[in-house]
Amino acid sequence: MSQPSTSTATLKSNSDLMKRILKNTALYFMILPGLLYFFIFKYLPMFGLVIAFQDYKPYKGFFNSEWVGFAHFERLFSESDFLMILSNTLILFLMNIVIYFPVPIILALMLNEVRLQLFKRFIQTVVYIPHFMSWVIIVSISFVMLSTDRGIINELFVAMGWEKVNFLMNSDWFRPMYIVQIIWREAGWGTIIYLAAITAVDPQLYEAARMDGAGRFRQIWHITLPAIRSVIVILLLLKIGDVLELGFEHIFLLLNAMNREVGEIFDTYVYTAGLKQGQFSYSAAIGFFKSLVGLVLIMIANWLAKRFGEEGIY
Amino acid sequence: MKKKKFSTFLTIVTAMALLAGCSNGSDNPQQGASSNPTQNNKQTEEVTQEAPTKISIMTRLHTAEVPSDKLEKLIEEKTNTELDIQWVPDSTYNDKVNAAFATGALPMVFNGELNTFRSAIRDDQFWEIGKYLKDFAHLSNLNENVLRNMQVDGKVYTLYAERPLARSGFIFRKDWAEKLGLDAPTNFEELYDMLYQFTYNDPDGNNKNDTIGLTDRSDMIYGAFKTVSSWHGTPNYWGEKDGQLLPEFMFPQYIETMKFFKKLHQEGIINQDFPVTSKEDQRNLMITGKAGAYIGTMPDAVGLQTELQKVNAEATLDVFNRIEGPEGFKIWMATQGGAGFLFPKSAIKTEEELLKILTFYDQLMSPEVANLITWGVEGEHYTLVDGRTKANEDQKMLDRELKPYSGAIAIGGLSTIPGLYQAKWEDPLKQKAEELVMDNVDFLIDNPVAPLESLTFNEVGARLQQMINDATFHFILGEIDEAGFQAVVDKWLADGGQKIIDEYTEAYNASN
Repeated sequence: MSQPSTSTATLKSNSDLMKRILKNTALYFMILPGLLYFFIFKYLPMFGLVIAFQDYKPYKGFFNSEWVGFAHFERLFSESDFLMILSNTLILFLMNIVIYFPVPIILALMLNEVRLQLFKRFIQTVVYIPHFMSWVIIVSISFVMLSTDRGIINELFVAMGWEKVNFLMNSDWFRPMYIVQIIWREAGWGTIIYLAAITAVDPQLYEAARMDGAGRFRQIWHITLPAIRSVIVILLLLKIGDVLELGFEHIFLLLNAMNREVGEIFDTYVYTAGLKQGQFSYSAAIGFFKSLVGLVLIMIANWLAKRFGEEGIY
Repeated sequence: MKKKKFSTFLTIVTAMALLAGCSNGSDNPQQGASSNPTQNNKQTEEVTQEAPTKISIMTRLHTAEVPSDKLEKLIEEKTNTELDIQWVPDSTYNDKVNAAFATGALPMVFNGELNTFRSAIRDDQFWEIGKYLKDFAHLSNLNENVLRNMQVDGKVYTLYAERPLARSGFIFRKDWAEKLGLDAPTNFEELYDMLYQFTYNDPDGNNKNDTIGLTDRSDMIYGAFKTVSSWHGTPNYWGEKDGQLLPEFMFPQYIETMKFFKKLHQEGIINQDFPVTSKEDQRNLMITGKAGAYIGTMPDAVGLQTELQKVNAEATLDVFNRIEGPEGFKIWMATQGGAGFLFPKSAIKTEEELLKILTFYDQLMSPEVANLITWGVEGEHYTLVDGRTKANEDQKMLDRELKPYSGAIAIGGLSTIPGLYQAKWEDPLKQKAEELVMDNVDFLIDNPVAPLESLTFNEVGARLQQMINDATFHFILGEIDEAGFQAVVDKWLADGGQKIIDEYTEAYNASN
């Protein structure tokens, strides 16, 4: 990161800064609640990470538990399923980026082209709604639809003279099912920011393009997309920041004995191997490792974004 | 799905709480009832001179609302105590206990799982109560075998409430069996034959091949698998072989059970997606008349029949438990003593205080107070018919006033409290199911590792078990063969299983 250079800069302008703070006391005062929020709920809990290096016992607390160094990390890396879990996590993450991420953009572009306002609003509402349903409901609906026992999709297959497909208990279908459910639930909601960005595009640009004889697709390609490019990059970076937050609840609901070898990710592993057995330190160590991977990925992505002349997130 | 599981879990737990008091044990409740209360009256008279003992208790609440304190008042009066009961909804109970434990805010008594607190017990955070029990008239009746299962390093720290030892059995469509001319199966051939005929001989008489024999769910323990496995003679979680303890899945009987299920699955006798079936869906297959048999908790037959008859008034169910395997009659025994009442030193400061609290529990085991807490007030919550209790029909009133207490505070049970009333069931199916639950006691398989500890198991056990469960399902669905299963067992051994075996075997030999 660029810390050394900024720190010397702040030294020089220290007195300036104080002056500015004094001048805008009211404004800084208004930031205070936000700062406090981050300090209390985001920074203070980080001290809890020390238990990743301890043999933490609740009744002994942070201060009296025994220190064990990297023992929990060693256990994680020597776990026979470690590579399987890591690759499952990364594959699902890549699917999120490659398959899910473009969908809200395409959807927003399509919605933007709808001319009838009433129709546009209607469609918008319809695609938003799944976001407000919990994963429990979404997974349950999928179960009912995909079941081999009177599930509507399999009934349809049978009616068309095809074989039944066992979506729920086949490891090949786990990932497609996962990503389709994500798209179903989140794609509509994801369009909000893009639609907002699109409304900010100067209409004169479209007029000028039309004068030059550009069709709809040309306009999208040469005006709309470049206009929202920075928004796309920022959202992509934020998405990568969540890299390993694939949604415990969602995956946990989808997992079963038949698809665990492709569905087990760090979050579900923490649950069975750590929390369920009261191993807080081990769980914390896994969480720590996960965050570290996330941090590295976001730094790489941010660096790449800056290289391509886009604004990064820091 | 989560919600479904939760609700079924709640049902199971409430059912358990309901049935906690109805296992067998005492031969002549009448006699016990007449001789003991007087003794107890003297005791209570003696204590009433002192100021009431204050006792704080944290306990699970299985009903939606906090119960009325009517019974609490009566118990306080009888035992000269002042109870402060914190009712915690069952779903958040463990979190609440952990939080209270971490912040040193535990009450004087709470229900906790030994595995969670074992290291804290070793760390001298809890009172050892075993050595006091013999000094109490009623507490000394607690079953030594159960107490031994709850030991930590040879010492007893918990009081327990009795649970039925083995409730699993076979529930089937009586009307279908009669139509096909079948009797309740008594061995595996008859069992398979019945399930086969339920599937292919059109038991519902609609000339369509739309029935299955057995309905099962993703649960390997309370679903069909473990029960069928124990009929085959598989050990209960762990068994002894050539001087060492081995997990059940390293015994040939376990493989036989898997083969049996594989056959049922291949021939379409069992619901095809049972590895992802919830309990609700499993029950629905039975209720809608699609499936003919259900293997699991026998008293569930009553609820199933009620629902079933709403759909088909002619349908009837029957239960059976004695299915003979290669080693005769066998059934797995539910592990007793996984949880019990613990007495934290952080809340109980002196031995004197502890003894007062134990006196309270001693009184809870006296027939008078035990009947009060289990059945309520005579004439109000129950009436006596032939020396047995017939519960009031107002289920909501019982839920509000009685059940939370009997399910969460009472200790002991029928076999340890002579003079505790037994239940009288109106429904013959219920009566039969409860009788068969008692009959199961004659051929139990014990779990030898219940009182033992393996540190490796505590650390990686749950994850390793999941590996085996997954492999079992893969085998049944035909995705791996015996060699494939063996490979998973080898992986189990390499990933820590061998260490678990060694640790258990060592602890086992040390305790014998």
